Amino acid sequence: MSDITTERAADAAVAGGGDAAVTHVRRGLWGRLYHGETAIDFYGRRRWGLTISAILIVVTVLSLFTRGLNLGIDFEGGVAWEVPAGQVTEEQVRTILEDNGVEADSAKIQTLTSDSGSRLRVQVGDQTPEVVQQVQADLAEAAAVDVSEVSSTSVSSSWGRSITEKAIRALVIFLVLVALFISWRFEWRMALSAIIAMLHDVLISVGVYSLFGFEVTPATVVAFLTILGFSLYDTIVVFDKVNENTERYAGARAPYADTMNVSMNQVLMRSLNTSLAAVLPVLSLLVIGSGIMGAVALREFALALLVGLITGSYSSIFIAAPILTMFKEAEPRFKNMRSQHATGVELERLVLGGSPEGHRREVARARRQASVTGAEGEVVIAAATTPEAVLTHPPRPRKKKRR
Amino acid sequence: MRRKLIITLTTILVVAFGGLLATLVAGNEPALGLDLQGGISVTQQPVGEFDPATLDLAVERIRDRIDSLGVAEPEIIRQGDAIVVNLPGVKNQQEAIDLVQVTGQVYLRPVQGCVGEGVETTDSTVPSSSDATGSTIAGSTDSTTATVDSVTGTTAAPGPSRRVSSTPTTEGATDTTAAPDTTDDGTDTPAVTDSSVPATDTTDTAAPVDAPLTTAVAQSDPTTQQLLPLRGGGQCLVGPAGGTGEVFNNDASPQIISGGWGITVGLKNGAAGEDVWNALARECYNGGDSCPSRRLAIELDGEIISAPSVNVPEFNTDVQITGDFSEDEARDLANVLKSGSLGVSMETVSVQNVSPTLGKDSLRAAVISGIIGVALVLLLLVFYYRTLGLIVVAGISVSSALLYSIISLLSRTQGLALSLAGVAGVIVSVGVTVDSYVVFFERLKDEVRSGRTLRNSAQRGFTGAWRTILIADIVSLIGAFTLWWLTVGSVRNFAFFLGLSTLIDLVVSYFFTRPAVLLLARTDWMGRRGVMGIKPATTGTTGTAAAAAGSAS
Repeated sequence: MSDITTERAADAAVAGGGDAAVTHVRRGLWGRLYHGETAIDFYGRRRWGLTISAILIVVTVLSLFTRGLNLGIDFEGGVAWEVPAGQVTEEQVRTILEDNGVEADSAKIQTLTSDSGSRLRVQVGDQTPEVVQQVQADLAEAAAVDVSEVSSTSVSSSWGRSITEKAIRALVIFLVLVALFISWRFEWRMALSAIIAMLHDVLISVGVYSLFGFEVTPATVVAFLTILGFSLYDTIVVFDKVNENTERYAGARAPYADTMNVSMNQVLMRSLNTSLAAVLPVLSLLVIGSGIMGAVALREFALALLVGLITGSYSSIFIAAPILTMFKEAEPRFKNMRSQHATGVELERLVLGGSPEGHRREVARARRQASVTGAEGEVVIAAATTPEAVLTHPPRPRKKKRR
Repeated sequence: MRRKLIITLTTILVVAFGGLLATLVAGNEPALGLDLQGGISVTQQPVGEFDPATLDLAVERIRDRIDSLGVAEPEIIRQGDAIVVNLPGVKNQQEAIDLVQVTGQVYLRPVQGCVGEGVETTDSTVPSSSDATGSTIAGSTDSTTATVDSVTGTTAAPGPSRRVSSTPTTEGATDTTAAPDTTDDGTDTPAVTDSSVPATDTTDTAAPVDAPLTTAVAQSDPTTQQLLPLRGGGQCLVGPAGGTGEVFNNDASPQIISGGWGITVGLKNGAAGEDVWNALARECYNGGDSCPSRRLAIELDGEIISAPSVNVPEFNTDVQITGDFSEDEARDLANVLKSGSLGVSMETVSVQNVSPTLGKDSLRAAVISGIIGVALVLLLLVFYYRTLGLIVVAGISVSSALLYSIISLLSRTQGLALSLAGVAGVIVSVGVTVDSYVVFFERLKDEVRSGRTLRNSAQRGFTGAWRTILIADIVSLIGAFTLWWLTVGSVRNFAFFLGLSTLIDLVVSYFFTRPAVLLLARTDWMGRRGVMGIKPATTGTTGTAAAAAGSAS
């Protein structure tokens, strides 16, 4: 860890010095982001992401065990009425329920507010159709509105269960298909990493629901499924880049961490842009649609999506990629190169399309040393051919000139 | 090459905006789902074991009923085992439930008498000889109810005949053919025939009861005497049910019986099957008070599918129903018997009453916030990618035009309704659509930075980006399709719109974005501007050393 810190200090020095010499290599953070010239050592910092996620997952699991999920009537069965509030009080509602032989104590009564006035939502367990009708009529009378103004929703518990089962079955089949597809197109390690990252996202989204006691409705399930789709989509775009770089670096025997770091940096801007593009409409649904305009049906949906989209983008970089790297490093060809990955200037050079140095870390180190002393961008390149480097290692074939 | 690109670009623009124009001119617009329009949604599901045909029958019954009441744009969907009926604009919940509630139960009820079906039965007691063609008159007129007839052929042979045949004439037949065809004598062991000839004109027959000829929706009440509609026209007064379809085995099959279509079905053994059926058959055969017409009605959810006359008092193992059926009619009847034999019953598992005000609010909120969201995204992209951002704006317009036209078209032809989940699905897919551009432009930028000309970069950039887009979109499509295939309700609706948007994304990327960017990249104007501050190399000039410097080494 301390090693990394010193390296970064060195990078910072380079960053400061290089600016004057070569203007386009050195920019501010936003400039570098904008031009895709960041050199963030994602691999070196992988534990941060994994730790944060581990904490979130522990919280989620704890919450699921202690608080559980607040399942809506579509999953548990039951009846819900909605009546324009105003004239009706909660007390009246309870009386109406009891008059009709419905247990009022277990009834959930909430007030929903929207721009068209507020409504009372009353939710109880399974009832017979007659009771549903009667309560609806009584509520309408109490609120002094027409019966058609009172909406009722009833779902039998068996139906609720079958919806859930169907969704789970669909999910399993979907996962199998996607795993097969990714394994075929890329490789099984990527499939596994992508799916782990996806489960992570769904788990965290579910955790938010459990933690805050939000009601899980069919719309929520739709949202969870979208999250899962988006998470995979995002991870695949990242992995596609990794795959491309793996091919490019295949001859150089570069540590896998380098491939990964370079790919991450190269797709970073794309990930940020895409996430913003995906999050903005959802945020708009949440803030404007549900917050300002009061469409409650949108709120549940948008909320789950928002959480999912954010974790989806986060996990493809901080979960999927490190896990894939770990899998790959278990492979013999990358095994002996563990713990040797490029950082700082060297990483930046790679990100900008330079060829990898392979496992010759000493060379990279020598170069960094030179650049620190030289403090000029051009020196970075010159350093590559210092006598020491040439002497300690057999000369590289000269095919390096790509263009 | 250039020519080809221009043609592609022009084609997609013409298709997209031509389609949009046509949609607008034709006045098509997306049908709104229940949650957006308000109304009632009723979901029913069979309980226990059932024949797949049961669901088809139930859907058909529900459709008939709804059509008879003229509810606007009803939506009847089969989702797995469930039947979902969406009735937009219907407010009265009980009415809606009554309208769509089907039980799937088949009852056997003795017929008191029928009106309006023209003739029924003539009886051809005449054995065999009667002309099969049924051209005989039998006049639609007179023969009122009743009579039953004929046993074909061997009426006489009631006894232990193995099979029974009853000949219902088709009800669908035009009146001219009155024919009771007595058909098949050929068969040796016929027993019951019912020949009801439907005549079109209802009036003339003497109604046994005067009941209103049009009941809105007949609800079956098997415990009392009721006047129920007969398929093909007419109505019959039927007594309390003497049994259910469960007396039969699940083996009803349409067959050609002595030259015409008929049905053979087995009886269950013992008290559950033969005993019940024979008790009924005997009653009807004897023409007692409860069954003066000597006909036995097969009723499904308030509709008499067929009312064959009973020609033998005693049946063994098999029952045969013959008549002037067409193949389809025979198949329908067989399906009814099959489904009835399982004693399946449909259960209403969910009733949702969506108040229209809520729906309207939700819609407005979804549309407004969706538009704002997309506008923000476009602003961001124009700010970020400058000139290229304008291509995104154009591309999103093309996508939207295509999406709107397709949804409108499907709404009109397939009864597809756009629900809140669907709207959300479309909005969400904006993210995926935009991503295609981002992936492409980021790659383009990389290529330009590594010193290629803009023209060259655009080509290479697209090739690389297309691969990524294709893989990622295929995963989305797999997801959308799996969900659409295996789930119900809002999840399914969502999956549909997500899948549709993803497909459109692929089409637009290839047929719009690609030619648009490639063509733009060829212009001198764009070459001078550069991409996002990085000046591309120009073929002629070496002055842009900057580009080369961008990539080290």
